Amino acid sequence: MKISILIFLLFLAIQTVLSWKKEEFRNCNQTPFCKRARSRKPGSCNLIAQDVTISHGELTAKLLPKIPQGQDQDQAKPLILSISVYQNGIMRLKIDEDASPKKRFEVSDVIISEFESKKLWLQRVSDERSDGDADLSSVVFLSDGYEAVLRHDPFEVYVRGEQGNRRIVSLNSNGLFDFEQLRDKKEGEDWEESFRGHTDTRPYGPQSVSFDVSFYGSDFVYGIPEHATSFALKPTRGPGVEESEPYRLFNLDVFEYIHDSPFGLYGSIPFMVSHGKSGKSSGFFWLNAAEMQIDVLASGWDAEPQISMPTSQSRIDTFWMSEAGIVDVFFFVGPGPKDVIRQYTSVTGTPSMPQLFATAYHQCRWNYRDEEDVENVDLKFDENDIPYDVLWLDIEHTDGKRYFTWDKLLFPHPEEMQRKLAAKGRHMVTIVDPHIKRDESFSLHKEATQKGYYVKDASGKDFDGWCWPGSSSYPDMVNPEIRTWWGEKFFYENYVGSTPSLYIWNDMNEPSVFNGPEVTMPRDALHLGTVESRELHNAYGYYFHMATADGLVKREDGKDRPFVLSRAFFAGSQRYGAVWTGDNTADWDQLRVSVSMILTLGLTAVTFSGADVGGFFGNPEPELLVRWYQLGAYYPFFRAHAHQDTKRREPWLFGQRNMELIRDAIRGRYMWLPYFYTLFREANVSGVPVVRPLWMEFPTDEATFSNDEAFMVGNSLLVQGVYTERAKYASVYLPGKESWYDIRTGTAYEGGTTHKLEVSEDSIPAFQRAGTILPRKDRFRRSSTQMVHDPYTLVIALNSSQTAEGELYLDDGKSFDFKQGAYIQRHFVFSNGQLTSSNIVPTRGESSFSTDCIIERIILLGHLPGPKIALIEPGNQKAEIEMGPLRLGEHAGPAAVTIRKPGVRIADDWTIKIL
Amino acid sequence: MRVDFLLIFCVALCVASFGRSASSVPQDPFLGISPEDESFYKTSLDTINCKDGSKKFNKSQLNDDFCDCLDGTDEPGTSACPTGKFYCRNIGHFPQTLFSSRVNDGICDCCDGSDEYDGEVKCLNTCWEAGKAARDKLKKKIATYQEGVTLRKQGIEQTRMAMAKDEAELKKLKNEEKILNGLIQQLKEHKELIEKAQEKERLQKEKEKKQAEEALRKESEPEEAKVETGVAEQKVDSGVKSTESTLDNLIGTVDNDPSDEDLKLVSEDNVAAKVENRDTSEIEGSPRNRHALENMEESASAGHKDDSAVVPETGSDARSGVVPDDVKKMGNDLSENTEELSGEELGRLVASRWTGENTEKRDDVKDNSHECHEDTLKQIHDGEYDGYAPDTGDDTSKYDDTGKYDDTEDDTDEEDNHDDPSSSYKSVDDIDLSDTSITTLSNPTWLGKIQQTVRNILQAVNLFRTPVNISDAADVHKEYDESSTKLSKIQSRISTLTKKLKQDFGPEKEFYSFYDHCFESKQNKYVYKVCPYKQASQVEGHATTRLGYWEKFEDSYRVMMFSNGDRCWNGPDRSLKIKLRCGLKNEIADVDEPSRCEYVALLSTPALCTEDKLKELQDKLDMMNKQHQKHDEL
Repeated sequence: MKISILIFLLFLAIQTVLSWKKEEFRNCNQTPFCKRARSRKPGSCNLIAQDVTISHGELTAKLLPKIPQGQDQDQAKPLILSISVYQNGIMRLKIDEDASPKKRFEVSDVIISEFESKKLWLQRVSDERSDGDADLSSVVFLSDGYEAVLRHDPFEVYVRGEQGNRRIVSLNSNGLFDFEQLRDKKEGEDWEESFRGHTDTRPYGPQSVSFDVSFYGSDFVYGIPEHATSFALKPTRGPGVEESEPYRLFNLDVFEYIHDSPFGLYGSIPFMVSHGKSGKSSGFFWLNAAEMQIDVLASGWDAEPQISMPTSQSRIDTFWMSEAGIVDVFFFVGPGPKDVIRQYTSVTGTPSMPQLFATAYHQCRWNYRDEEDVENVDLKFDENDIPYDVLWLDIEHTDGKRYFTWDKLLFPHPEEMQRKLAAKGRHMVTIVDPHIKRDESFSLHKEATQKGYYVKDASGKDFDGWCWPGSSSYPDMVNPEIRTWWGEKFFYENYVGSTPSLYIWNDMNEPSVFNGPEVTMPRDALHLGTVESRELHNAYGYYFHMATADGLVKREDGKDRPFVLSRAFFAGSQRYGAVWTGDNTADWDQLRVSVSMILTLGLTAVTFSGADVGGFFGNPEPELLVRWYQLGAYYPFFRAHAHQDTKRREPWLFGQRNMELIRDAIRGRYMWLPYFYTLFREANVSGVPVVRPLWMEFPTDEATFSNDEAFMVGNSLLVQGVYTERAKYASVYLPGKESWYDIRTGTAYEGGTTHKLEVSEDSIPAFQRAGTILPRKDRFRRSSTQMVHDPYTLVIALNSSQTAEGELYLDDGKSFDFKQGAYIQRHFVFSNGQLTSSNIVPTRGESSFSTDCIIERIILLGHLPGPKIALIEPGNQKAEIEMGPLRLGEHAGPAAVTIRKPGVRIADDWTIKIL
Repeated sequence: MRVDFLLIFCVALCVASFGRSASSVPQDPFLGISPEDESFYKTSLDTINCKDGSKKFNKSQLNDDFCDCLDGTDEPGTSACPTGKFYCRNIGHFPQTLFSSRVNDGICDCCDGSDEYDGEVKCLNTCWEAGKAARDKLKKKIATYQEGVTLRKQGIEQTRMAMAKDEAELKKLKNEEKILNGLIQQLKEHKELIEKAQEKERLQKEKEKKQAEEALRKESEPEEAKVETGVAEQKVDSGVKSTESTLDNLIGTVDNDPSDEDLKLVSEDNVAAKVENRDTSEIEGSPRNRHALENMEESASAGHKDDSAVVPETGSDARSGVVPDDVKKMGNDLSENTEELSGEELGRLVASRWTGENTEKRDDVKDNSHECHEDTLKQIHDGEYDGYAPDTGDDTSKYDDTGKYDDTEDDTDEEDNHDDPSSSYKSVDDIDLSDTSITTLSNPTWLGKIQQTVRNILQAVNLFRTPVNISDAADVHKEYDESSTKLSKIQSRISTLTKKLKQDFGPEKEFYSFYDHCFESKQNKYVYKVCPYKQASQVEGHATTRLGYWEKFEDSYRVMMFSNGDRCWNGPDRSLKIKLRCGLKNEIADVDEPSRCEYVALLSTPALCTEDKLKELQDKLDMMNKQHQKHDEL
């Protein structure tokens, strides 16, 4: 009785604890630079561009305040502006102080080295006078039909297309630009800031930068992850806006984040994409790793516009504020959505090519407790014939949260354990976080201390913060030397108990500091001796991810693609591995928001992303869990994960029926692996994400612009999640003029309209677009490794003119040989009743890849039944045509026209003609 | 065995690099078909029906590595149908049925290697060795069962006797209850008459008493008011109250509960406090007194630090108002007062959101990996002492909903029967009752005596004499009280027996003896105690965590369920699932916690050694031997 009372009280207390602690994090009003910037009035910027000239292939100018005549201008320190242009429609604008007492931080190692080689050497600048302007504008060439313009007074920069007729993106059109230059402290001035008992010494005083950016001809803006919010970014200021917080970019470890908030989460990518009715997109990227706050301004936000806009085009205004750093911004002219991503990834790099296994299903939990647990879970997957590729170990596997070690009681034989998994083609992932336990007997800590490798606090001592192990320090990952040192810790001889089938998970790298301000590192902590944490905070996790991934590459002498999952990220993280959306919760809203979050990550090039299937916190009802698996099977990164306090939720724990449903969802992913892998390669080449918003494929279809409940997997599959309990129907909008085929039933649905479809518990709606050809593998194995030799199925979805095309990419799934040409890329075309397979890569590279895999089945959707025979050339072979199931197994759909056993090799050129 | 396996895997890898034969069609068209099915496939007809009746296929399509039947009928020997099953004969060992996904996947699944025939791997035939090992194991198991079956029979025989004894006792007790009831009724009537006669006197006395009480209450009221004023004061105050009002309870707690040193100290402190209170004649604020109280507080909070001591039992009103220290901390400090915390405290506090760990400073961070677990246990443990302490009266009615645990709550943790070598021991539940008073009570001559005495008394009392003869009245009272006490003891025993006999002891009552037994198992630092039909707990040192109360058998008496145990921090109520298996001794083993606060354990017991299962095993061995002989003949 008394127990129950006490427990009840405790429970109440816990209830209040277990929720997002909004007040523990700064809002804009509590953040002086944000408050100051937001209170500024449009047109308050009085800078004008002077001394405009071309030098070193760049357009340069000085920005100085416009002083009424008679006053002395000598007092003002100028800002230095430079505009450079790059191939394919990229303009870069930099603005920094001329001579500052301390060099402002420029984020290193984000822009890829190849980018500089794409610079166009500017030689000519032409002047023009806009209507009503007293002063000139300087115009330089950007790319065919595009120009970059620097307007002198008032100072404004923009890019325009169509021979000057269309503005695309502009900066400072609303005159909100402000650059707080570093200066000496005035007498009596207090620079310290305090928040919830944490004091920020701010030795260098105010140094924020802010400006407005306008996107023309756009109806929506997207991007700037990471927020749990809608995909199309809702306005944060202006008429009809209740939410008064800007989108915050500040990497934070947020306990139980909520599903609809502009609040900053684990990662930050200051890259925004706009899109509008014309079908055109543009992009804007600010390379700055300090805390950033971004307002999306609702139309009419400026009740009394103080400046007249020089164009009447529809536009979206945004306001960007950063605590520190410089202006180093990139304008991307598009014009298509995929062009914008190509342009952005030519600056920050395309997503790396993952190993095949990493694109399959991952099984994780905090924690698989010991070797026996691992063995049992592994066995249960086999007993239930559920494929999985990777088993994960969370923090408890270590010896007292000392990473690179094993708990000797729970994991006495780590190598043998990994080898047992590897014998089934499976892999293991262990967690390695950036906080190093401050324990004199821990050699890693000793070494880092001796070498001075830790981040320092404001007083210059090794920063000491609290995290899982207790008192911890954090290696200064911004330093390349320290990154190299860190990477070597993953060598087999250093990471005792690791084997070649072991890969890594980087968690808590925001960094999470339990006793720090806002659960992270104080802003006045020091990197590289002099750089404050405030200047690079958002990139810390990125450097950590980089160091780990590079270490894994070196571990195998550059022969093995790394796999590293990171929670924190920054622009460029796509080059180092996967990210996930952090500690989500097992509820339907979070299932829904996972799609927005993953679409946003994909749009900003971090395509290898996913949300914890099932929800990290809480216990999902079986129905929610099943729906989550059905959706998660289409996440680029497909992993189930759960908090240690939750009930076990391996797929077989919810009864036979639910096990079958989950198994079917997982098998669905394995079935589509050849397609996913092809898409990962596409992303690797072009930056175009695996999972895309509908408007990326249907740019002029307005109905798709704010749809974030459905998404495209590549250009061929459309998936609609089911986000409510006991749903009987789902409304699915199918864009375009061509039909869509239900991937289970083969039923054709008309495009360009919303369908109210019955849904069962079996699956979520998914459709293949007419006119596409998809590769599948219909045999399910223990893991993707055993599927390597299995035959393919091709699914041809014919469009109204009875044609279709598709691609297949494959390589060895592991090594970097594909970079030397060791891959196969096939192009399939169906037209005139004939399927042709041809090689996309015209010439062989230095090395090659071959496979004996054959095609066992070709399914034709939208083809009339009747033909009995197909003729295969070369060889003049015949194959039977019959009505066969669209999908094998328990969930076989109705029959479709099927070419039985064509037996052609996937690697060869051939044609198959339907007779 | 494992070495072999690795070797084979290596071979597999080496072979794999040489490329693959173009076709995966098996040489033997009937590969993967079980002997029972052979006639189905070896038909003279040209076509074969899919077993699900969905369609039929040509004989040439059998095992042609293309899935024609959705149920996999046509591809028993390939991986073409995801629903297919592959049969390997494994001569010399058990035959095996595999998922078709294992066929030609590069991993040797059948010991005869028949699942890998596409040339990717070479699988050695290991059935001979594996079969021998399996047969030996099976033989051993059969031997256990044979002995177990005998033990089980003996057990059932003993049960029959024990049950009969219990039933007889129950019958007799019920009879006695009836007689005694009659006597008491008579006594009661007399008693009431006497009481009526004494009413006037008593009324007068009560009046006086009331007045006296009221005077007393007035004195104590200010003190109660103070209870409302502040939590800190209240705590002290309730401490005082508890020392005064529940001294016995506390002592009881110490006796009943194997608690750790800290607890004892606290209790002793409390006792001391009380003694001191008396000594100082309740002088509020006297230095000594305050010191004592401070001590008490200190020890209580020190207890909090290591999570094992107890906040002194408080009065019922205070209890509902007092928020335990740590709860306050979480409720308030976390959201509001973090500024006052040291860096480390704040770090622990924030970490605790994810882990639910106690946020107090601890020196031993080494144990981190197990900390969460322990803390949870301990945290609950704090609350538990309250539960163990006997109720102080008023709340019984208040918290009736939990009353169902009342009868089990007191019968824990007496550790006097530990000498049983098989680690099971008689549970204490009924020992007291059957030991002493009841035994004597059950003596018929004794009952006769009572009857006689009552008769005598009743005759002696003259009801119409006023004033009532005091000694006569006293006799009636005394006899009435004694008989009532005896009756309630009998009734208690009846209820115990009835409850016992109502339980589900299995189809042959083979679990009857479990009722009065507990089983113990020590695993690392924990001792697990399982008392079937009652409860199960985990003991670490002096801390006890209830894993669950008896719920029922599941899965045809192969599983025992205990549920509704102590609640986990941020988790479910603890529960324990015990899987039963045949063994020669009653033994608990392999206690595990696969999911947070959901425990599983194994219990070997002869009760599970059934003849049916023995026969099944023997048949299996016979079959293996036959196969073996066949193999020899080959």
